[in-house]
Amino acid sequence: MPLLMLLIIVLAAVGIYLLIYLSVQAQLQAVRTGAIPSPPGGEQAMSQTLRELRPDRVQGFGVQIVSGLGSLMLIVFAASHIGTEFGWGTFRTLLAHGAGRGAFLGAKVLSLALYAAVFVFLGVVAAMLGSYIVTAISGEAASGPDVGAIADAGRRLYYTLLPYMALATLIAVWSRSAGAGIAAGLVLYFTEGLVAQLLVSFNRDYANIVNYGLSRNAGALIRGAAGTTTIQDPSAVGLPDQGQAALILGAYTVVFLALAYWRLRSRDVTVGG
Amino acid sequence: MNPAQPAILRSYAPAVIVQQHEVVLRTKQLVKRFGSITAVDGLDVEVGRGEVVGLLGPNGAGKSTTIGMVLGLITPTAGTAEVLGRDIRVRREDALAGVGAMLEVTSFYPYLSGRDNLAAVALLRGAGALARVDPLLARLGLAQRGESKFRTYSLGMRQRLGIASTLLADPALVILDEPANGLDPAGQREIRELIRELAGENRGVLLASHLLHEVEQVCDRVLVIKKGKLIASGTIAEVTRGGGNYFEIVVDDRPRAAEILRGLGITEIRETPTGLDVVADPKRGAEINRALASAALYASAIVPRASSLEDVFMELTEPEASTAPPPS
Repeated sequence: MPLLMLLIIVLAAVGIYLLIYLSVQAQLQAVRTGAIPSPPGGEQAMSQTLRELRPDRVQGFGVQIVSGLGSLMLIVFAASHIGTEFGWGTFRTLLAHGAGRGAFLGAKVLSLALYAAVFVFLGVVAAMLGSYIVTAISGEAASGPDVGAIADAGRRLYYTLLPYMALATLIAVWSRSAGAGIAAGLVLYFTEGLVAQLLVSFNRDYANIVNYGLSRNAGALIRGAAGTTTIQDPSAVGLPDQGQAALILGAYTVVFLALAYWRLRSRDVTVGG
Repeated sequence: MNPAQPAILRSYAPAVIVQQHEVVLRTKQLVKRFGSITAVDGLDVEVGRGEVVGLLGPNGAGKSTTIGMVLGLITPTAGTAEVLGRDIRVRREDALAGVGAMLEVTSFYPYLSGRDNLAAVALLRGAGALARVDPLLARLGLAQRGESKFRTYSLGMRQRLGIASTLLADPALVILDEPANGLDPAGQREIRELIRELAGENRGVLLASHLLHEVEQVCDRVLVIKKGKLIASGTIAEVTRGGGNYFEIVVDDRPRAAEILRGLGITEIRETPTGLDVVADPKRGAEINRALASAALYASAIVPRASSLEDVFMELTEPEASTAPPPS
């Protein structure tokens, strides 16, 4: 599963670049030949989208692709990484052979963190590869990527993934099940993001409340990377400042892991897990 | 002794354990409650170096819960468990460094080979454990299948791998929960021999098993628990009362026959569907026959029997309603 997920993020990052390029290019051609009517500003928006696919914009568009997929995939991976130990009964076996509960959780979290680093690195490299491929297809001259900006965006992305993995870890420890950890983690991920977006779209003042959640702070941190995007995004209104975002995401990570440790430590490990 | 306890049970009251070996496991008044259910109720267990102690009881008696508490997997509600002189709740990792344990359900990583699974456990066991992986695979008859994935193992092979894992730490105490599950008769015999070898290497062994003949053959002492309580302990001979001599008497009027036998000073009497089981010296057969006949009670048969551990186990753990009432 770990290698498969790395393969998926690489293929998905490249594939999304190709898919977006081909579909926007096709629409643009259709508009230009008059096959379909162009909405006001439509051609300009499509041209801007194509510009976002260039290598010098990977720190924005490419990192957001990896962020969107990465959050989901790492929730799945983290819940599976912890939950299967209960399902297989190997957690019980390790404890019976003298492993400490804290050491077990620490090793699991550390391996998750290392895996996420590899995941982000490969995802961003794949996005760069995708951007070069579409640029080559388009035949336009490609300006080189801003490696410093990409590294900064990748570092921010990595940081925003940590609380989601910690949340999945907590749920998997609590439920002793990979399936429950994945399901609950994904439901919370989507629900929290959706509710935050809806509330802010109803009334901007709600941003004061939802800015203490995960999704808005993660969004603020990723968008805060230098030169990330030029595309207008109405959901980005009233995002918290980056200092607060980093603090809140860090606090969530620590609290989720502390709760997971407390639950693991106090739990009786019977035959069922 | 508890006077309210039926006579047949009182005779098996826990014996005082004579300290002959260095104690590697000692529990004192161990209690575990899950909500309103008391799974283990004031259990005292001792295992010394070089002895094999059998932990017997019907399903749900509390054997696995006891083992779980000894290994620090389950937190006791009350009482203490000391392994190699260390309180398991205070110094769990130190204590378990000298313990090899195989739980009732043998669990390893399905995608790793048997050898890699042992190597993974060996990493927890410190220096020297890795070097024991291959010799242990050979000792447990798994050398040929060491490279096969665990998920392809039969139940018997899984049990063997579980037993191999218990010896990685060169333990002073080995805990085996149903080690012969899934093994064929030849495999069961090998495991019995292995257990005796472990005791011969001056290790203490706590063996939880449903296979009473297995326990009878390998254990120096047995502990019988029921509903979490220790109801009998001692050597096999003690628990089966020195070979377990009793008479099976086939007679119609059981209450009257029991009254006459009590008049002879016989106290351990149990009603059966066909008559009475009576614990008495085998030489008293003629005396019993004469006493019954003089009261015009003619027994169809008076057969001397020797009880096995299985007989005693069944007596001890069967529902109490079927035992004869104590004398009024």
